[in-house]
Amino acid sequence: MTFHVAKGEVVALIGSNGAGKSTLLRVVSGLIKPSEGTVEFAGVPIHQLAPERVVRLGLVQVPEARQLFPNLTVLENLELGGYLFGRKHIAASLPDMFDRFPILYERQRQKAGTLSGGEQQMLSIARALMAKPRLLLLDEPSLGLAPLVVEEIYRAIQALNEQGTTILLVEQNAMGALEIAGRAYVIETGRILLSGDARELMAHDDVQRAYLGRDYQHKWER
Amino acid sequence: MAQATIGYRSREEIRQLQMEQLQVTLNRAYFNVDFYRRRMDALQLLPEDVASVDALARFPFTTRQDLAAHYPYGLFAEPLKSIVRLKISNPTWLDQDRPIVVGFTRHDVGMWQSLMVRLYEQLGIRERDIVQVAFNFSLFPGAFTFNHAAEQLGATLAPSATISATLQLQIMQDFRSTVLATTAAFALHLAETLERQGLDPSSLHLRLILLGPDPLVESTRERLQTVFQVPVYGLYGVNEMVEPGVAGECPAQDGLHLAEDQFLAELVRPATGEPVPDGHEGELVLTTLTAEAYPLIRYRTGDITVLREAPCSCGRTSARIAPILRRTDHRLSIRGIPLYPEQVEALLRGIDPLLDDFRLIVSTRYGIGEQLELQLARTATHDFPGGSRPQYLDLVRSHIRRALGLGARIQLVAPEQLPQEGLTYKTVFTQVPRR
Repeated sequence: MTFHVAKGEVVALIGSNGAGKSTLLRVVSGLIKPSEGTVEFAGVPIHQLAPERVVRLGLVQVPEARQLFPNLTVLENLELGGYLFGRKHIAASLPDMFDRFPILYERQRQKAGTLSGGEQQMLSIARALMAKPRLLLLDEPSLGLAPLVVEEIYRAIQALNEQGTTILLVEQNAMGALEIAGRAYVIETGRILLSGDARELMAHDDVQRAYLGRDYQHKWER
Repeated sequence: MAQATIGYRSREEIRQLQMEQLQVTLNRAYFNVDFYRRRMDALQLLPEDVASVDALARFPFTTRQDLAAHYPYGLFAEPLKSIVRLKISNPTWLDQDRPIVVGFTRHDVGMWQSLMVRLYEQLGIRERDIVQVAFNFSLFPGAFTFNHAAEQLGATLAPSATISATLQLQIMQDFRSTVLATTAAFALHLAETLERQGLDPSSLHLRLILLGPDPLVESTRERLQTVFQVPVYGLYGVNEMVEPGVAGECPAQDGLHLAEDQFLAELVRPATGEPVPDGHEGELVLTTLTAEAYPLIRYRTGDITVLREAPCSCGRTSARIAPILRRTDHRLSIRGIPLYPEQVEALLRGIDPLLDDFRLIVSTRYGIGEQLELQLARTATHDFPGGSRPQYLDLVRSHIRRALGLGARIQLVAPEQLPQEGLTYKTVFTQVPRR
């Protein structure tokens, strides 16, 4: 399988549960070493690097189900996100995070585990942003969130992109992902079956049938 | 987005895009088309084994015979419900009883049209242009693409189809057509008409002439550029894919830019199928990269050309092919109508079992087949099919017209009078003097 993300893009990997999307993302972020093949970031092969080296290069993953430290405060979680880059960097970045997500400013002394699902997701993204990503990897950012909260998260992702962060997004929520992505790849059982412009994919029969949850039963007829 | 700029990307970026689309094509072909699946299973090959363009060489070629053998829908990768257009590819003598049917989904039709728009834009055709399209639409179904693309571009379309040369020129003057799209043969006829009428080419508003679907011969280009005083460009298509749209010239007139986001091109030795190094002659082999309904993997086009990856002086980085030099088979073209000597032979032998031999005499002008004459050698002077000798000639003439869509002069000659055939089977080319 081969795919690419160009600077400044929002690219989505969509596909049903078990298609291999999250595995793919973990290979990109260095959490899983590929048995064969290569991952290059800005022309540098990174598939043999330790995950923290990958983060230093500017490739930061926001994990699925958020994986925050629930017993630490919001502030402490954010500080951990910038840990690799030192105190000065953390101090300089915090105001920007609070501007971006005012709710986190309000709750900075609160334990992360007490936040709502949407707030936890925002914290998770903000924590990743503390590591100065050039490419932000997002694994199912809409998982388990109410539709209105999902919209808010997506708006935040779009804003990030507009300010220059390149984004690779893994989503089961195909419709949502295609709305914010410029391009997308459709993955099924470890294979890319479609790729292209997100808007075109949204209108594609196969995508509608398989992922957009509409009643496209008749399209199965051959 | 990616499509509009493909011509300016680095070779590595183009390769990456092609690999991504190739994996999609192979996956979809493997899952949706039994023909490809059986082939891959037989070779114990999975789509993911093709991890580079070089690895594609493990995949067998697809030939025109394969396409005919799966008539009508055997190679379709989409259910008929998703197909919005069918195209019957020009039948050849090889597939007389089984034509080739190509299907297009809505996406495919849009792709074809956008490729033509790209060819227009590449030549600087804009919405202010008035595009006069003079094709015989029934002989060249791809001609509609010229119309649709001109409209999509926002240019003004003037489809003048098959009206006479005199009227075409009058329309060209009155409409102030800036672009003429037609066949090379008809453009030459227009040039003659223009000269005969003593018309001053500067009384026209033409900016450029675009010729297809036959390859543009340099002597034709020179002649037309001299008469019309505007640049003349060629384009390229493949009947079993999209025609036109696969490639087209840019203002540099130095090769035809391939639509590399839609087609992966290889060049092979016709006899062995081995790859030919950059800059050498070979048969063009194409793999569709985005075709949904009719994916073709390593299709042998039968067209001999030269492939170059070096960037063009126009700034585009897309690979270029030379105008098609010749065919790997004996296909001829008379006024844009394709035919095979073998097909004529089958036809003649069907009519007259006593026929000894024959020749096709093709008169060419500026490298273009203009007229067909058939010389028949027959020692037997009895049993003329159809009755008498004149009735026999009439019979052959009408059969040829019906089968080929082409009028031909028919002559009976003594066997020893038949001219020596050239490289092309049973065919002799004669040049009509240039005027």
